[in-house]
Amino acid sequence: MCFIFSFFLNSKDIFIINLVSRIYTHSFFIFLSSFFIYIWLAISDNFSVLYIAQHSNINLPVFYKISSIWSAHEGSMFLWIIFLTSWGAVYNLLTSNDQPLKAKTLGVISITSVGFLLFLLLTSNPFETILPVPPENGADINPVLQDPLLAIHPPMLYMGYVGFVIAFGQAIAFLFEGNTNIRWEKQVRSWSVVSWSFLTLGIALGSWWAYYELGWGGYWFWDPVENVALMPWLAATAFIHSLSASSKSSILRIWTLLLSILVFSLSLFGAFIVRSGIIDSVHSFANDPERGLYLLAFIGLLVMISLLLFSFRFNLLLSNKKIISLSKESFISINNILFGTLIFSTMLGVMYPLIYEFLYDQKISVGAPFYNAIFVPITLLACIFLYFSIDTKWQQSFNLKSLYRPSFLSITVSGIIVFLAFYKLSITNFWTLSSLLIGLIIIIRYLIVIYFYFAHKKFANLYSVIAHCGLGLLIISIALNNNLSSERALNIKINETEIYKDHQVSFTNLKMVPGPNFDSVQAEFLIVNPNGKTYTLTPEKRKYFARGQVTTETAIRAFFLKDIYMTIGDQLDDGSWIVNIQFNMFIRWIWFSAIIMVAAGFLLAHSLSRSRS
Amino acid sequence: MKAIRKERLITVLLILATSALGSFLIIRALDSNLDFFFTPSEIFNEDIPNNKRIKVGGMVLEGSVLRDKTNISFVITDYKGSIDVRFDGLVPDLFKEGSGVVVLGYLKDETLIAEDVLAKHDENYMPPSIDIKN
Repeated sequence: MCFIFSFFLNSKDIFIINLVSRIYTHSFFIFLSSFFIYIWLAISDNFSVLYIAQHSNINLPVFYKISSIWSAHEGSMFLWIIFLTSWGAVYNLLTSNDQPLKAKTLGVISITSVGFLLFLLLTSNPFETILPVPPENGADINPVLQDPLLAIHPPMLYMGYVGFVIAFGQAIAFLFEGNTNIRWEKQVRSWSVVSWSFLTLGIALGSWWAYYELGWGGYWFWDPVENVALMPWLAATAFIHSLSASSKSSILRIWTLLLSILVFSLSLFGAFIVRSGIIDSVHSFANDPERGLYLLAFIGLLVMISLLLFSFRFNLLLSNKKIISLSKESFISINNILFGTLIFSTMLGVMYPLIYEFLYDQKISVGAPFYNAIFVPITLLACIFLYFSIDTKWQQSFNLKSLYRPSFLSITVSGIIVFLAFYKLSITNFWTLSSLLIGLIIIIRYLIVIYFYFAHKKFANLYSVIAHCGLGLLIISIALNNNLSSERALNIKINETEIYKDHQVSFTNLKMVPGPNFDSVQAEFLIVNPNGKTYTLTPEKRKYFARGQVTTETAIRAFFLKDIYMTIGDQLDDGSWIVNIQFNMFIRWIWFSAIIMVAAGFLLAHSLSRSRS
Repeated sequence: MKAIRKERLITVLLILATSALGSFLIIRALDSNLDFFFTPSEIFNEDIPNNKRIKVGGMVLEGSVLRDKTNISFVITDYKGSIDVRFDGLVPDLFKEGSGVVVLGYLKDETLIAEDVLAKHDENYMPPSIDIKN
């Protein structure tokens, strides 16, 4: 297996583009076939492979046999590299050979791949075998990971992470070439928007999985593992915005280049944090200093080379055009700064416990209050600048007067709705109300844009409009979810009824249900809402055979505006059960907004790549 | 030439000033929102105010778990010291006597009033036998 990988080394030395392209394609197919062999090994229960023996099981459905490949470290990294090289292969296929940056871009992609392949081979070889006597059965995949959503969440996330290798490769190739006339920004736009969409989708799926599987009833926990996915996302969001500015003119070029390096290094940094186990996380994955050290050294090297290259070319990049105040670029650069602040704060929150322990020998952790204190005001501020930027034009100062009419409508309508929320729902929290106001203003303002687009043929980038509506909806949903959700633990015996928030909760039945690879205790609850409608919810507790592990299966009943969410806890000595019931308001809308953004992203990327060709 | 230099100087100073102010605000927000982590034996040697949220990690002492309706009380120990914990709500599946636990909460009369109870798990999501981070 090792031989296959070494093919990649060749593709840097040869400067004839066609040859580079061909070699890349060939080595990619050889590498890809090694992955297919691996999948086949997993499906056919070949437990002489250590990794498969540790993470798969004969009794698993085929689907989970495959997804068990990326349920832990070695396989995940394998998949990561497969995606990395696949992006390169697709780029290779779709980009014609006369593109000036192609060979160098492929070179950068190859070097990155080789770095990761070496990492895989030296510290975490997925093909390691247990011979001569392989075990008869595997140890099984962790039950909380036996879930269709979690089978596709890591692939989506990795697709997003490593997709930015194209932008990164192009940026480095551009810096290397040093020819400022090459418009690399235009070429990477659709690539980057696609990667951004994958990243968004991956994060949203992970959040949804955590919601129904872990039984805590939240969608975001500010856990380090989540934060390291958020940072590249923030950087990527800033990146695709300033990319759209600098693909029109050479303005913001420095921002764009720096951001492309930042996005990719943050993606790699995420891999480092998750894989080294250096940070104490609720779902910390592995604890291996050797792996961490290698990754850190590799990332450090990449970032250093990129930044050195950048500083060498800095003078070439200085644009003699100035950013005109109140132009679209000016707002984008302000929001770049705000996004930078968010990334910096998140990074600080992730790293501070390490620094603090090193300095004061005292363990600390940074929780949600810190992130909320930073993210809420800054995001809202960024949204205000976004609002102003709606009417602006590229490289032109905009006329403040043009703001009056549409603003009047959107602010009045939003103001009335917020006042109603304050009055009827008695929401008094300042930040909730402001989020509500700003979210609504954005949505309504964009609806006006859509109206003008269709009724008066006024130009608008429809996909971007939709994505930003998604953002407005996201802010509103998060604010309302945070403010209106509630939960309570109940102590209830079978055939008893309790009242929670005008809902009758009756414990009607308890039974044992055997599953394919677990035993389950299933409780049945009848819920009568204030209007007399009844619903049955059946939360479970499962005990898995292979590992003897107990998991909680939540029961969720989704309505238009709220979820009823139940979990069962332990049974007490008197036979009663502890049950948790939550009303999670607007929680579906959070993922729905994310889906809107993802869809808009994919459509935008599609239209961009069509307009280019 | 001089005018340009002066302009640049002002720009640089402005950038420095804003980023200094920004960092100051962020770090202040950070400092007021830290959760300190203690082991049961450390906890009474430190002067911890009642309104400070802390994390305490250790093992759930065998035989110490008492339940009353949705309330649960137990003792966390590191076999050098121990502390009483009270909590209202569901404890996680991995919560067990003799197993590792981390509690987030506030001190009140030498008892930890828990906001959240977390059981620790590693890559394989198994409760660790004894290794609670010190």
